[in-house]
Amino acid sequence: MNATDLAKLRLPETTVEKYGRLGWPASLAGAVVVIAGALMSWSFNQQVLGNLSIYLNPGALQILTIVVALVAMVLLFSVRGPLARRLGPWLDTTRGLRTAGTALLLYMIIVLLAIGIDGNGLVNVDPGGWVSFLGALLLFAGSRLLPDRVGLQDMEQAKLPSWFEILVIAITMAAILFGAAYALGLEDAWSFVLFLLFAATIAAVALRLGVLSWFGHIATRNRKVLTLAAFLVAFLFPFTQNGSDANMSIATQVLIFAATAMSLNIVVGLAGLLDLGYIAFLGSGAYVSAMLSGSAFATIHWKPPFLVVVLIGATVAMTLGLIIGSPTLRVSGDYLAIVTLGFGEIFRLTMFNLDGINGPLLSNGPNGIPAIPDLKIGSFNFGDEHTLLGIPLGRFSNYYFLLLVLIAFVIVVFARLNNSRIGRGWVSVREDEKAAEAMGVNVFGLKLLAFAIGAFLAGLAGTIKAHQDVAVSPDQYIFLESAFLLAAIVLGGMGTIAGVLLGATILKLLPEKLRFFSEYRLLFFGLLLVVMMRFRPEGLVANRRRLLEFHEEDEELAVAVEQEHLTVEEAI
Amino acid sequence: MSQFFQQLVNGLTLGSLYALIAVGYTVVYGIVQLINFAHGEVFMIGAFGALSVYLLFFDGQTGVWILPLMIIGAMLCSVGVAVLMERFAYRPLRNAPRLAPLITAIGVSVFLQEFVRLFYDKIPTFPSAKQNIPFPQIDVVTGKALEVGGVTIQRAAIFTVAALIVCAALLWYFVNRTKSGRAMLAVSQDPDTSRLMGINVDRIIVVAFVLGAVLAAVAGISQGLQNANIDFRMGFIAGLKAFTAAVLGGIGNIQGAVVGGLVLGIAESMAIQYIPGQFGGSSWKDVWAFVILILVLVFRPQGLLGARVVDRA
Amino acid sequence: MTVTETRRTAREIGQPVLEASGVTMQFGGLLAVNKVNMTVREGEIVGLIGPNGAGKTTFFNCLTGLYKPTSGQVRFAGAPRKPESPKRQQSEAAEAVPVQPLAALTPLPPKPRAVVRAGMARTFQNIRLFANMTALENVMVGRYCRTSSGALTSVVRGPKFRREEAATRARAQELLDFVGLGRSTEHLARNMPYGDQRRLEIARALATDPKLILLDEPTAGMNPLETRQASDLIFKIRDSGLSVVVIEHDMRFIFGLCDRVLCLVRGEALIEGTPAEVQSDPRVIEAYIGTGEEEDEDAVPEQPQDVADSGEETP
Repeated sequence: MNATDLAKLRLPETTVEKYGRLGWPASLAGAVVVIAGALMSWSFNQQVLGNLSIYLNPGALQILTIVVALVAMVLLFSVRGPLARRLGPWLDTTRGLRTAGTALLLYMIIVLLAIGIDGNGLVNVDPGGWVSFLGALLLFAGSRLLPDRVGLQDMEQAKLPSWFEILVIAITMAAILFGAAYALGLEDAWSFVLFLLFAATIAAVALRLGVLSWFGHIATRNRKVLTLAAFLVAFLFPFTQNGSDANMSIATQVLIFAATAMSLNIVVGLAGLLDLGYIAFLGSGAYVSAMLSGSAFATIHWKPPFLVVVLIGATVAMTLGLIIGSPTLRVSGDYLAIVTLGFGEIFRLTMFNLDGINGPLLSNGPNGIPAIPDLKIGSFNFGDEHTLLGIPLGRFSNYYFLLLVLIAFVIVVFARLNNSRIGRGWVSVREDEKAAEAMGVNVFGLKLLAFAIGAFLAGLAGTIKAHQDVAVSPDQYIFLESAFLLAAIVLGGMGTIAGVLLGATILKLLPEKLRFFSEYRLLFFGLLLVVMMRFRPEGLVANRRRLLEFHEEDEELAVAVEQEHLTVEEAI
Repeated sequence: MSQFFQQLVNGLTLGSLYALIAVGYTVVYGIVQLINFAHGEVFMIGAFGALSVYLLFFDGQTGVWILPLMIIGAMLCSVGVAVLMERFAYRPLRNAPRLAPLITAIGVSVFLQEFVRLFYDKIPTFPSAKQNIPFPQIDVVTGKALEVGGVTIQRAAIFTVAALIVCAALLWYFVNRTKSGRAMLAVSQDPDTSRLMGINVDRIIVVAFVLGAVLAAVAGISQGLQNANIDFRMGFIAGLKAFTAAVLGGIGNIQGAVVGGLVLGIAESMAIQYIPGQFGGSSWKDVWAFVILILVLVFRPQGLLGARVVDRA
Repeated sequence: MTVTETRRTAREIGQPVLEASGVTMQFGGLLAVNKVNMTVREGEIVGLIGPNGAGKTTFFNCLTGLYKPTSGQVRFAGAPRKPESPKRQQSEAAEAVPVQPLAALTPLPPKPRAVVRAGMARTFQNIRLFANMTALENVMVGRYCRTSSGALTSVVRGPKFRREEAATRARAQELLDFVGLGRSTEHLARNMPYGDQRRLEIARALATDPKLILLDEPTAGMNPLETRQASDLIFKIRDSGLSVVVIEHDMRFIFGLCDRVLCLVRGEALIEGTPAEVQSDPRVIEAYIGTGEEEDEDAVPEQPQDVADSGEETP
């Protein structure tokens, strides 16, 4: 069913039989060789990929390969060797090793390419690089010869002590923290790609081993710990930046985008309403905030305290939501999409035209309202640098913390609405509107509620965004932005929290880091939408209900989902 | 008074453009309940197709005999894109929940815009599409405007309206007098029964897409002739307004699309002229179309002539 | 628990709960329902029979507000009942459940939600469950109109929310137990066997605290055992204080269940009366057999006792 399976390369049965016994030793040899090569120099040219040219002092990217190779060795020893009894019955090592092999090979190919392209020719590749490449090849080939594993025990039944599970969660979160900090620090696009590949490899191997679903289960069981850990990690992030504000700027962009996407998730993911003009609500909040900000260009000469501005902005957005929702939510979903799109355009055009000539002077027309002063709450000025725990935190770090509070709020609203009478009502409306109505569910009221709440939260985010961006202008609020928000939800996983966060992060972060792509990014964005809808419409992180909704015909899936639900308490 | 007629003429011209594009939306929606978001791009690609034919074979000339060839070029490109779109993006999602094809359509739309923008100048001797490209001004259909009783009528405008009339006539003939046309009506009523009657529903759906594309191509050339330039973004707003026109006339209803387009065009022109104060004038013209859409959906969702859609619920 | 005797007279028949008069539904040129009258009293089980296409489901839709009748009026006994105590498991003897005095009959607006709030619930001919929700969740949705936690309450999660959620969950579980699905609470509706799905739909309808429940072909596709269980369930429902209207084709089922039967043919009320009266009416027999309908075998029973006794012959 899932078409995204790279490790499906299969050798003919006869080859496997003949050479099967070579599989294990070959793989082991491959892993060792990879490590050996990684301890050598890969590149003569020291500028490429961070310094990979020192013997016995591996650069970061080399360390990543060592990690993967070590994981492979652990898996191999789970089949035959010291770990066989404890780990063997649980892990699908063959599939894990095949994934690791494929990934390592891919990794080394990209390394060679990078050195070749950036470092003026493959001649720059030192023996170490070729050695690791060879090792990867060995591991790849060897893993293909390994026999399939059968009779594995279900990891759900693994009984591990509670403190161990919490430890695992904590370590994973810390790894994510440092990984993210490291990744953001990478300036070289090749390095970033390689790091992404590494992260994807770990995830894929974990998936293939069944470890990922085990992690999902312990995450569910220890939900509170997970949430706490996640927020701790997010909170600590600015402290890893050593005073540099550059990455924090990107981080705040990601957070605003993620908060807005999460709010849209209530409208689209929970209530199933297709809103293509959502950016207008964000814009309303932003414009209100700008107009009341006391900027030299502000058109309203009143500067209330920020908390009042927040309320006004959110309320204005919500009112707009109610205005646009009341007539249109009664009509079919397809029309709703176009109408909301039209409304988004109306908003943009209106902001464009309210320049005193074509309309009353409210929005300052095409130039927008620049020079918005920084937020001040009480005596805390967001523009100033503050020092906490000995680490200087600049302007963007200040906004970052505020946005963390915002996104926490949005997530709480989302989760609590989901598990409530309202949430059930929304699902019933998605499932069968007429039947829901016949059971007394207030279909129209629920739809309007979703719309209003979504608009309110977006307006909230907008009020902060205006100050953070220092300026508002109509061309920040074009349709394409609405499309991006929708894409974040759809790609990440509609109706899930983790999914939307992931989708938003990917969509906002990748263009920043993969600068060489920037010309083509919209092209790939369009293609990505088409491909995702074709092959994985439920998104990356699939909520069990969504899986069923998108794969209506799949009986096996329905049974499987129910089994899982019966054994594990329902999560978010 | 002549102002009124002037705006009427402007409105009919604009409306004819909308009508030509609207048919594509309405026909596809009537059959597969899909808002083909990327139909605006089909229109845009038609215009680029005509331009390409011109640049490849007739660069520098302006004889009116080139026009039919440009039309053919436009149609080939539009139809090609539409068929590919249907086959690879939409057909696999026939049974998916409504959200999936819509998102796909958005993806296709963005992809096509970017594709043209980035790669048009990779074809040898072609100009860059990153800004407006001048559209060839063909004799007879462009040039000195006609003056009739105080009303200025652009030649390109006459072409547009004439094109609509011809296309409408051919469309009527196709839908009512040919097998494929009637099959299309049948499928939009009840696809399952049509299948039982031996109609190849897949093929008919392709026919619907082709039909829309052909008319959109004509619209593309009209736009190019009228504005004397084209650019990769021209499909977006035109597409939205054409969809509004389709809904206005009654979604799924072909005559509705034509009527809706004309009505919308005239309403827009009149709004520019007659709405008093600051809100009149051309900077607000796009807004009115959307306002009309909302009003139609609230007060008469079946449109002026009545919708013709299969009730999926 | 088998029921060998009809329990028609286990309760007293009380005041009218529903009064439909002159209900007519016209779709363009098609007169689907033509001046049909029906009265349902408290504690009654009324059967609605008729050949396919007679307008029975359309009539239901008119009653529940899904369609706005072309003419005619539906009056219903107003405000919703609140059950003082949870419905107990049915024991052999019908327990007396305290009955609140009914409000007077007032006209019902043709809006499904208003109808449900007033106390009329229904099931559907083709099962319309929320397929990807569990059985418990399906029934909990039925509680929507009787609960009031709004968005703010749900986010703040104060004591009111917690209480209401717990009460909803408990009530849903209770209703599932009542219909015999107590063990299937976490099963997805789409995975459940057909018979269970029908029962789930009934539980969901019961969750809205109705005074009157309309069942549209509840035994379609069931075998005789399941049909018997359905019959028992309906008696149980009746005994807990509700009135029931049932559309069915299974004649034995209807005549063993109902206090009164209304027969519709081509949109018009042919006859209304006790099962004995209706069963023996030649026009009814004509409508079912004379038109060549092939009902399930049970529809043409081996000579129901009364018919044989009265000496009528089936043609």
